Amino acid sequence: MALLGQTDLWAGIDVGEHLFLFSPMIVLVCTMLAVVACPIILGRGPRSIATVVWLGLGITLFMTFRVAGAVADGGVSGLSTQPGGMLIADNLSVGFQFLLLAFLAGVMLMWWMGSSATERNAPEFFILLLGSALGMVLMVSTTNLLMIVMAIELASLPSYAIVGFEKRNRVAAEASLKYMIFGAVCAAIMLYGASLLYGLVGSLDMAVIASYTIDNLSLGPNRVLLAVGLLCFLVGIAFKVSAVPFHFWCPDAFEGARIEVTTWLSVVSKGAGLLLLARLVTVFCAGGGADANPALSITFLTPLAWTIGIIAAVTCTVGNFAAYKQRSVKRMLAYSSIAHAGYMMMATAVFIHPSISGSTAGITALLTYVVIYLLMNLGAFGVTAMVVWDTGSDKIEAFTGLMRRSPWLAVPMVACLMSLVGMPPFAGFIGKWWILVALGRLQNTATSSGMFSLSTLGWLLMIVAVVNTFISLYYYLRIVVQMMFRDDGQRTVRTPIVGLAMVNGCAVALFALLIFAQPLKRTAERFTRNMYTASVEQDGKHKTLASAIQRGTP
Amino acid sequence: MTIGVTHFLVVGAVMFCCGLYTMSTKRNAIGILIGVELVLNSSALNLVAFDRYMGAGRLDGQIMALFIIVLAAAEAALAVGICINVYRNLATVDVDKATQLRG
Repeated sequence: MALLGQTDLWAGIDVGEHLFLFSPMIVLVCTMLAVVACPIILGRGPRSIATVVWLGLGITLFMTFRVAGAVADGGVSGLSTQPGGMLIADNLSVGFQFLLLAFLAGVMLMWWMGSSATERNAPEFFILLLGSALGMVLMVSTTNLLMIVMAIELASLPSYAIVGFEKRNRVAAEASLKYMIFGAVCAAIMLYGASLLYGLVGSLDMAVIASYTIDNLSLGPNRVLLAVGLLCFLVGIAFKVSAVPFHFWCPDAFEGARIEVTTWLSVVSKGAGLLLLARLVTVFCAGGGADANPALSITFLTPLAWTIGIIAAVTCTVGNFAAYKQRSVKRMLAYSSIAHAGYMMMATAVFIHPSISGSTAGITALLTYVVIYLLMNLGAFGVTAMVVWDTGSDKIEAFTGLMRRSPWLAVPMVACLMSLVGMPPFAGFIGKWWILVALGRLQNTATSSGMFSLSTLGWLLMIVAVVNTFISLYYYLRIVVQMMFRDDGQRTVRTPIVGLAMVNGCAVALFALLIFAQPLKRTAERFTRNMYTASVEQDGKHKTLASAIQRGTP
Repeated sequence: MTIGVTHFLVVGAVMFCCGLYTMSTKRNAIGILIGVELVLNSSALNLVAFDRYMGAGRLDGQIMALFIIVLAAAEAALAVGICINVYRNLATVDVDKATQLRG
């Protein structure tokens, strides 16, 4: 934005380079178009369509590698070097693209094994899947309000349709209705918040809005505007990460959808929402955060951190308690994913820490947790999928005696479930540990005093996280016990070899990530630091832009 | 009395509240979607009003308002599609009667 008044829109911008930075997204769009064209040339056979998609994903991966090379020296590059640019290409967005592509490959494998034989509408399925993937990539690559809203909608609209993809399935129809109604309501409230935030400063860029508000906290009545706007805006993000009280869609949509769709929604949709939240809280500490401006910290940043922290704590607790009484493993994993969204959201509340290393610790923990969470959920859902395809039931009874029936399914399932609890020797342990360490750092901060201080928040979230870990132990162990110590003489589960390779690969990776945790953490640290320093560097430009807009000379 | 930005904001806020009320009281899926449209339009009104009163030559908000209109259309198309599918399966679009999934 802010292009108005400039005679030459493209002055100083190398269009080719910028298009190159966003080439993975362009390739994704082209793949969607190819899938549209494919039925005319190759017919509607599911396997041929899937081949086209695999090809497109391959090219996207290749382009992502090239872009990763271009932004490898860290920091932000691309359109956002112009203050007010709409898209960002930095380590974080490129890293998320890699994760998303890896996960998309896993979901494609699951589809190939489970649904490709009976699929009648493969082109539509893949257009919707790729559309939501594109939306999630965009969500992580922007701080612009318009772009955020568009990206969230682009990720959500195809998801509603894909949940109810099986037309004659009553449960799926109901699931998609609930998901759609919730999504539409939350998106509308979010847009209202965005309109108020725009009116506050006159810019659609969240970074500009944050820079300006931090300098002008004595906004008078505008402070109400800011608070209402931010809260309404948070509603949209809370819907995406299924935070309480916007989580009701999640178990229903997850249970009603096909299992590969459930897998897809459970990880990347929440991951993208959380990374978007991480980006937004980072721009609020660009001006030096709590240390540079104690008054700001008390009047604005601390309440924001408390809001996020309380939502996270409640989300975590509600998710774990609701998972208790579930008989369906799919639904239980849905509640488990709500609980995990809570843990990850806790990490974003650490942004307010006065020192750079303190405030980046939370986002670092979040990034590592997303990677680990992706592996453990893919594994757990993969095993569940194979049991569901063979027995036709997702109830916990279908898992009885799995250790004897199919040890190659049961062992990775145990590994993934233990990792979800956060027990060593699996990577889930180290992921949770880093979140706790980041929360612990909040305790010794300069600006902590009073009941609603940072240290109280740190303690509170730590206690909630630890207590919740123990609560979650029960329902994950219930499946383990069902698999290992009960047996009703059911036959062996027929499993595709690719599926076995996938779930066992996930289990091995979870084990390996505990041993090689340091490289993962160092990478996440580098990504976070680059994002942080870039937003600090651009802070001055954003302030200039904001005051220019305020003077009426955009 | 001259009409200022506040007047538009008040109209927008009233529309927003009407939308919220509709969304929370209607049991019919189409009724809820009408509430969503109200809220979407209130934000579009806000954006355009801010543009008008925050100095000449501002277009960001108006562009966003255009996007909101497109978005509302896309959402409505999809929502009606889903509603038809639900009606075929359950013979109702009452969200209270869709109770197969619970817990």
